[in-house]
Amino acid sequence: MTLLQLGVDGVALGAAYALVAAGFVLALNASRAVNFAHGDMVMAGGFLAVVLAGLMKLPGIVLLPFAVALMALAGVLLAAVAYLPLRRQPVVAVFVSTIAAGIMLQNAATAWFGAAPRAGPSLVGGGVVALGPFALGRQALAVIAVAAGAYVGLHLLLARTQLGRRLRAAAQDPAMAAALGIPVTAMTLVAFALSAALAGIAGLLLSNSFFVTPTEGGNLMLKAYIAATIGGWGRLNGAALGALLIGLFETVAATLVSQVAAEALLYAALLLILLLRPQGLFGEIAGSRA
Amino acid sequence: MRDALRRSLVPLASSLLALAATAPFVAGGSYGIRLLTVAGIYALLALGYQLVFGHAGALSLAQGAFFGIGAYATGILAVRLGLDGALTAPASILLPAALAALVAAPVLRLESHYFALATLGLAQLALLVAINAEAMTGGANGLPGVPGLALLGVAVAKGWPLLAVVWSAVAAVAWLAWRATGGRRALVFRLLREDPIAAEALGIDTGRLRFGAFLFAAAAAGLAGALHAHLLGVVSPEVLEFPVLVACLSMVVIGGRARVAGAVLGAMLLVHLPEALRDIGAWYMVVYGGVLLAVIVFAPNGIVGALSRGLDRLVPGAPAPLPVPVAPPLPAPVPPSRPVLSLRGATKRFGGLTALDAVDLDVAAGEMLGIIGPNGSGKTTLVNVMSGLYRPEAGVVLLAGARIDGEPPFRIARAGVARGFQAPRLIDDAGVLDNVALGVREHDAAPGRAMHWLRRLGLEDVARRRCGDLPGGLRRRVEIARAMASAPRLLLLDEPAAGLTPQEQDTLARALKTLNGEGVTVVVVEHAVAFLAALSTRLVCLVEGRIVAEGPPGCVVRDPRVVAAYLGARWQGTEA
Amino acid sequence: MRFPRFVSLFALCAAAGALPSPFAMAADPVRLPVLVPVTGFLALEGTSQRNGALLALKTAPDLARPEVQDTATAPETAVNAFEKALSAGPVPAVVAPMLGTQMLALLPLAAERRVPLVTVSGTAQITEQGNPYVFRFFPGDAVVKQAHARFVVEELKATRPAVIYQTTAYGQSGRQALAEAFKRLGATVAFEEGVAPTVKDYRPVLAKALEARPDALVLHLHAGPTALAIRAAAGMAGVPRIVAGSAMHQPATAALLEPAELKGVCAESGSSPISGGAPALEAWTEAYRAAFKDDPDAFALAQYDGTMMVLAALRSGARSPEQVRDYLARSTHRGLAMTYRSDGKGNMAHDALIICFDGKDRTPRVAKRYVQGTS
Repeated sequence: MTLLQLGVDGVALGAAYALVAAGFVLALNASRAVNFAHGDMVMAGGFLAVVLAGLMKLPGIVLLPFAVALMALAGVLLAAVAYLPLRRQPVVAVFVSTIAAGIMLQNAATAWFGAAPRAGPSLVGGGVVALGPFALGRQALAVIAVAAGAYVGLHLLLARTQLGRRLRAAAQDPAMAAALGIPVTAMTLVAFALSAALAGIAGLLLSNSFFVTPTEGGNLMLKAYIAATIGGWGRLNGAALGALLIGLFETVAATLVSQVAAEALLYAALLLILLLRPQGLFGEIAGSRA
Repeated sequence: MRDALRRSLVPLASSLLALAATAPFVAGGSYGIRLLTVAGIYALLALGYQLVFGHAGALSLAQGAFFGIGAYATGILAVRLGLDGALTAPASILLPAALAALVAAPVLRLESHYFALATLGLAQLALLVAINAEAMTGGANGLPGVPGLALLGVAVAKGWPLLAVVWSAVAAVAWLAWRATGGRRALVFRLLREDPIAAEALGIDTGRLRFGAFLFAAAAAGLAGALHAHLLGVVSPEVLEFPVLVACLSMVVIGGRARVAGAVLGAMLLVHLPEALRDIGAWYMVVYGGVLLAVIVFAPNGIVGALSRGLDRLVPGAPAPLPVPVAPPLPAPVPPSRPVLSLRGATKRFGGLTALDAVDLDVAAGEMLGIIGPNGSGKTTLVNVMSGLYRPEAGVVLLAGARIDGEPPFRIARAGVARGFQAPRLIDDAGVLDNVALGVREHDAAPGRAMHWLRRLGLEDVARRRCGDLPGGLRRRVEIARAMASAPRLLLLDEPAAGLTPQEQDTLARALKTLNGEGVTVVVVEHAVAFLAALSTRLVCLVEGRIVAEGPPGCVVRDPRVVAAYLGARWQGTEA
Repeated sequence: MRFPRFVSLFALCAAAGALPSPFAMAADPVRLPVLVPVTGFLALEGTSQRNGALLALKTAPDLARPEVQDTATAPETAVNAFEKALSAGPVPAVVAPMLGTQMLALLPLAAERRVPLVTVSGTAQITEQGNPYVFRFFPGDAVVKQAHARFVVEELKATRPAVIYQTTAYGQSGRQALAEAFKRLGATVAFEEGVAPTVKDYRPVLAKALEARPDALVLHLHAGPTALAIRAAAGMAGVPRIVAGSAMHQPATAALLEPAELKGVCAESGSSPISGGAPALEAWTEAYRAAFKDDPDAFALAQYDGTMMVLAALRSGARSPEQVRDYLARSTHRGLAMTYRSDGKGNMAHDALIICFDGKDRTPRVAKRYVQGTS
């Protein structure tokens, strides 16, 4: 097992984390509040993939659009119950409303599907692809490709389309955007839908190689939070890069030292970064609200 | 008397609510007593968290870790060394507090999210140690056999005795928290968390307040952890895990972020609710999440917030009479021979841009100095350097002959430099009188002196109004009143006329002239030349960080360099 | 391989729910609290526990009725549930959670309130506290890890096993027992590392383990992680025989993997209901499937047997918790998985078995039985 092969696995894991983190930042920028239920949305996406695969017996790549559409709906629902009623309230109220939504998601999954881990569909089948002297996992490569595709798509949507410009305007300065005639509430719903769709893609990607369990949301949410912070609060690309780094760290550093030491090193590195660069690795753009 | 009664209504109603909610559980004997004991322990944790998160506004994610560290301190000392509670409990309080003090210096200066991340990192490291340092902590299994609490050899039995000890601790910590945050201090904390820069400019040592809050939170968490270890008899890594922090955060927000009663109510609700719902079966935690969601949607400011609003509606009180104005003692006069404030070679750069380029400037006692300049000429930077918000890269700033560059803004404010901001930085959700009172550093004298300055600036009629509802001109005057309330030697104003109507500008100019006439030294930075030319005794023109002209207003405005700087075009402000 | 032992006709009939209890009492059924984690981190195992207990209580509705309370993850919740269960009146015994830390918190309370705890928690420490109120119906680490190590050394002839364990109560307790067992057997542990249960990618730790050139790979991980590790290993070259911990015997774990990935994988367990055996056991397995639409695991069976022993105590006339405790401490119970008898510390189960997968399906075959510590 060479470091390159481990690197590909690390990038695949990191790419899936990057989608998680990007979705987290989208909701963050739209609501200016941490969505504590985001990890549970990823978990929900994983279970959705399991259910879809059970219903349709098709490869994951074909199921992906269904998962995206359904999760986008779930995102709208989440925004409608946990964010919109509180958007003029102290931001910490949204912390608690999303914590509550997360508790509901996690325990509904346990009650509905049982506590056993489940395996989701693979994207294009398992096995390995020979690349010169290296045998790389087909699923890992497919995960990287899909994640990259989703990310580029998101980028184009935000940068090149009218909808994207409106989304960004509504996130940056809701009052100004409203004055310009942009339907801010609708844009918030779209942002949450996109955020949940990304969570759904990530959930589907992770559910095959790494299974899905009802309780894993909290851990995913912590990773997204860390990635979003080291990447510069509110920066989409920074968060994605931060997530990639975490994925690589989990794989490569865990190979070089023990897994426990790698985890300790990750947090120690975080503290060191903050000591040397108190403004984060890439600076910050979002407002100073939590 | 009536006012005192009204103020005690919220705690009273909260206690009644809590009693009513727990009565059925306590009637259940040892189960109810146990739940109430657990709720008391979490109330301690939440009371501490209220200070750092609710009042100081710092999203600390280490509160759960401090709780766990307190629990482990008691567990390890009691199990491995057999020490008495009289020793282990103080150790459990001191260890988290010492850790907090140790990390505070690098961590507290971080911006909100980075502070949150740093505290999260610390908490995760503590968890890793607890799980993997098996020889000391017992590893993931935990440390069984923690004895019940014993103080100086006297055992405190579980049940009523322990309940009494726990709730006595809650009462003591609640009293301390109330002393630290009650009354006017609540407003100081509010300014600290909503606008730390404005707080510093009023001479509030935000660093010290945040440090104190962080320490208090850690100590309270440690005490809670110690009691938890005694109650449970086992210390295991669960006490250090993220759910403890999530529960604590939820308690504080759901109860009420900045009210002592809120921490207690929140803890009681979150401990008892799942117990009450457990019998539902498989979906009970879903229902629990749903209830939390409903509570926060209907009471976004917490149960106490909703309670006090409800009580206000139920028992509408007559507005308390306004305080009697008390004139402040006259400030010590600055010898006219020495300038109040001097800059020598003051230079400030942002990356490649030099915003201030070796500026020399003296502000004479009693003068009304106007500083004009086009957009981007460094005017605001100059005010920020004078008030200590920016530290100049080169040069010195002297206040009455003493160097102040490099001092934190609150110290400069306390030394007698008060300032306004381009957009007035007030607590929008508080009243005018409360906002102005924040300027007075002596707590007891605050209302009277604040009233004095309200009267001086013609704001008496709006004393009870909410700041957020006031038009721009009034907001500006409120900010000046607040600055004057701090009895400054020097008043710095940054574009005070911006956005005001001509009438508002006139009123403002008259107010400033009166203040200046009474001996207050004023420096006004302004883009609108006409406004300033009519007001000042001396004018300085700043272009690209350098002083290009200086002298009587009449001469400066005709100076060709000044005219060129303004593109020889519009005289900003003449038509405004 | 020994032939499965005879199991009483009574158990067969009872499991199928075909016969009402012949010892119908006039008195109301007593409450039997079932305190198990059905939410959170150990919900999978806790649900098995609950199902096992419920199936047992179904056989004697006139004797005892279940009262299920969730204990979630924290020790505190378990203690709350215990207090709640006892607040409604006396109970003869309590079905107590799998989670070792929760058991450690419950033990002093059980002693104080004099209520026997009937559990399937494997964590070594719980029967080492000198507490006479705990009864463990799943073989503890001292039994199963001994069997685990013996199979690796004696059957696979390994001398340099690599051990990968979870940094949880279950994992750390098992690691210690494994290390002691390997030492006794004269094997050298070539590699040993703990992995957090949140880790998703097992390739790094496996790669390092392989570098130590082990001749057997010993896993002691929870259900999901066991599957993650075995799947990762299936994609790597030069992996020696894998002998996993009891989590591998859980049908939920096998369901995550392709049969091919399971080929040659073995695991320790107290029992393996789906592997078949005596007619009584197979009938029980069918009854379980019918009741819960799911495959049973050894935890469910052990909790069933334990609960049946409590019912036997009640049937023998025991009513007070102290009488039930005496019965559990002194009697021998022939259960479906094995025969249970206390060793004086509350360890009731002393048999372990090793199961192996042949790569054709997800149902393991029993490869070796270690009865009462002998072979």
